[in-house]
Amino acid sequence: MRHPSPLFELKQVSCRFNQVAALSQISLRIYPGERIALVGPSGAGKSTLLSLLNGTLAPSQGQVWVMGQNLAQARATSRRRVQRQIGMVYQQHHLIRNLAVIHNVNAGHLGYWPLWKAAWSLVWPLQVDQAAAALAQVGIADKLYARTDRLSGGQQQRVALARVLVQNPAVILADEPIASVDPERSRDIMDLLRHLSDTTGKTLVISLHEVDFARSHCDRVIGLREGKLRFDCPVSAASDSLFRDLYALSGEPQAVELR
Amino acid sequence: MRFLGQSATAKDISPRSPRSIFSTERLIWLLLTTAAIAGSLFLAGYGQRSLINWGGWPQFWQFVQASLHPELDPVFLRLMGKATLITLAYAVCGTGLSLSLGLLAGILASAVWWRTLWPRWANLAQPAWLTVRAALSIPRAIHELIWGLFFLSILGLDPLVAVLAIAVPFSAIVAKVFSEILDETPSEPLQALVNTGTPPLSAFLYGLLPQALPNLLSYSFYRFECSLRSAAVLGVIGAGGLGYQILLSLQSLRYEELWTGFYALILLNGAVDTWSGLLRRKMGFTSRLDLSTGQPRNPAAQAIARDSASSRVEHPSTAYWVRFSLAGIACAIPLCFWSLRLDWTHLWSDRTGMLLRDILTQAQPGIVTIEQVRSLADLTAQTLAMSVLAMVMAGLGGVVFSFLAAQTFWLPGGILYPIGQHQRGSVGAWSLLGTSRLVLLVSRAVPTPIWALVFLYILFPGILPGAIALGLHNLGILGRLMAEVNENLEDEPVRSLRSLGASGLQTILYGFLPQNLPRFTAYSLYRWEVCLRETVIVGLVGAGGLGRLIAEQLSSFDYGGLVVTLSVFIGLTFVADLISAAMRRAVR
Ligand SMILES: Nc1ncnc2c1ncn2[C@@H]1O[C@H](COP(=O)(O)OP(=O)(O)OP(=O)(O)O)[C@@H](O)[C@H]1O
Ligand SMILES: [Mg+2]
Repeated sequence: MRHPSPLFELKQVSCRFNQVAALSQISLRIYPGERIALVGPSGAGKSTLLSLLNGTLAPSQGQVWVMGQNLAQARATSRRRVQRQIGMVYQQHHLIRNLAVIHNVNAGHLGYWPLWKAAWSLVWPLQVDQAAAALAQVGIADKLYARTDRLSGGQQQRVALARVLVQNPAVILADEPIASVDPERSRDIMDLLRHLSDTTGKTLVISLHEVDFARSHCDRVIGLREGKLRFDCPVSAASDSLFRDLYALSGEPQAVELR
Repeated sequence: MRFLGQSATAKDISPRSPRSIFSTERLIWLLLTTAAIAGSLFLAGYGQRSLINWGGWPQFWQFVQASLHPELDPVFLRLMGKATLITLAYAVCGTGLSLSLGLLAGILASAVWWRTLWPRWANLAQPAWLTVRAALSIPRAIHELIWGLFFLSILGLDPLVAVLAIAVPFSAIVAKVFSEILDETPSEPLQALVNTGTPPLSAFLYGLLPQALPNLLSYSFYRFECSLRSAAVLGVIGAGGLGYQILLSLQSLRYEELWTGFYALILLNGAVDTWSGLLRRKMGFTSRLDLSTGQPRNPAAQAIARDSASSRVEHPSTAYWVRFSLAGIACAIPLCFWSLRLDWTHLWSDRTGMLLRDILTQAQPGIVTIEQVRSLADLTAQTLAMSVLAMVMAGLGGVVFSFLAAQTFWLPGGILYPIGQHQRGSVGAWSLLGTSRLVLLVSRAVPTPIWALVFLYILFPGILPGAIALGLHNLGILGRLMAEVNENLEDEPVRSLRSLGASGLQTILYGFLPQNLPRFTAYSLYRWEVCLRETVIVGLVGAGGLGRLIAEQLSSFDYGGLVVTLSVFIGLTFVADLISAAMRRAVR
């Protein structure tokens, strides 16, 4: 054990949706500063696991402890205080499509802003410099006042990242952040996440299908399949055959892309 | 590398027997609808007695001829101008009030509000919003005309009557629709905010309202158009304005004056509808009632919307025009309130209180006799028949007009414009479009009771003139709505059919109807609910049904009986809403 207190701790966690067991009997700990790649075929439960970590979902069995709190039982305010420390980049972006980019970036402040300030900022954007800096960092400085739904998928992904930059959380959870981006931009985004982790010590949990990026940008891999933990080890210990087995087809008619 | 599953089994390839698009559920509804239509025709006296009153034709002809020479005397014109402004002011004030109250109530009646505010108490949240919804359904079930008569009897002749008669039921309708819009707005961005520790109120304001705003605004403009029509109807019961002037002219058989009133209404409605349509388009909101189908918007359509949005060049004059309109709205609302000189103290004056107490004490329903039950059942059947006939007429006519009155069909560059043919025939196309739009405008601009009185010249009294009047008025509304649906359809699939060599009718059959028919049916069913409520209006001018009884009981101050009739009527509208909702689910 490298650090005394884990950021996240899952104790025998299962999560089911009606009859489907999305996750079963998962136990794991995540410590500050770790860079974790979450891999596994479609439907393995990666998104579900990330939702448990940020408190969107409560487990059907077991406990999820985040920063020393059991989120399922915490009071609303203390739960929010924890959640402010967790930034999330979604597979489908989940941006407010018809607002200007600046407002979507500023949404990163909402955990700290009082209501009146949030309302006023919709009329007259506040903290524009900070938003502009965040956008410059993700490489779309010129889109500050563009309408979000007029951006391409990859650009929207960057807006979501800029929002997380503004939120400045201790942990960044990213659900397939490079799924809709070309190879060059993928590298950019992964570099950016890695850079954030290097410079500010942010913890990363990134779900992805790209084994190479898992190797080059992370230091721990967690392999999920059919809701079960298949492996959890340092990248150096994860061999090609381990990944191949994880993604291998088992007669299920399903298309899987391995890159 | 791409691995594909081995098991694309024989099951997928084996030939299938053709399956009808009519599931059992749909088939049952189809049969029931047919039976309902047949029954309604029977109740209307079809095939049993003569329906057309040939003796009334000369007078009807006089009425028609008068359309060519409306009364243009300056004094009369000034009177009409003032009446027009009053009607407009009623509509503006009524809309303003109902939108602000409706927004508040709509937020409280939305499931997403309670879910966001109390995420942990999901089982408490549901009763909360169900209660709000149930409370809203009562004012909504009573037509604005009855509200008008009620306010008339406690406030006397006062402009408050018209404003309140619009505001009370419309607030409830707005609340219901707004809550549905909020609930159908994708809530993932809201959840995303909540999950990063945003307090619920901020998250709601930031993550949900902006996304819902286009739909909310577009519906608001549509509500304004509705308010204008209601303001005209309310005139007919004596609340003043254009409707009142028209009724006076009709009663004194001064057809020239009558037509002046018609033209004023048509101009006013046409101007407002055009302005509201243009404003919606300029603001980039295409559909105004996209909610009644409940179909989730498909991502492909969204992507296309995005592409077209990004390719749309915003012309600076557009921005000015929108700003100018919004500024106009901001000025018009206080101006209208001021010009009507509404005296709110009337609401709590002693006289109002006394009259209200009087009515409430008299409104104790007595014992209902078997005789009464039988007559109520009869009248209920008549009311239903009238609404069904009106709905069929409006629905079928609406579908036909939706193609004639849509801009994207026959005009050069339109979908059905013959490929390779330029300019030739475009005069015909324009006049077809113009005529059909005019027909729709006239049918919806003239209030239903006036149509009913006109049809009473050539038809014998009964439910048929009422049904036709209702059908015609609603055809005007439905045709326009459906034409907009056609105009907003993504045209790539249709154009690709066209390039395959499909003929115009084939294109409609394969391209438009499959995509739009569910929505058309949903609109028609929604309109049926409205028609049922509106049977009261034509009842007041003598077409049968519960409305007629309500009118009689009102004029003889039989408040006890009125309570019974109203309860039956409200029960009927509830049942109709349930049926319509079930059918809309079936066609989805
Ligand atoms: N809200 C839900 N309701 C029902 N079942 C769900 C729900 N969310 C996830 N599931 C099921 O849980 C399982 C795990 O889903 P999850 O989204 O976590 O997979 P994933 O690993 O993120 O897949 P992908 O790589 O395709 O995003 C799947 O079988 C899915 O069908
Ligand atoms: Mg996923």
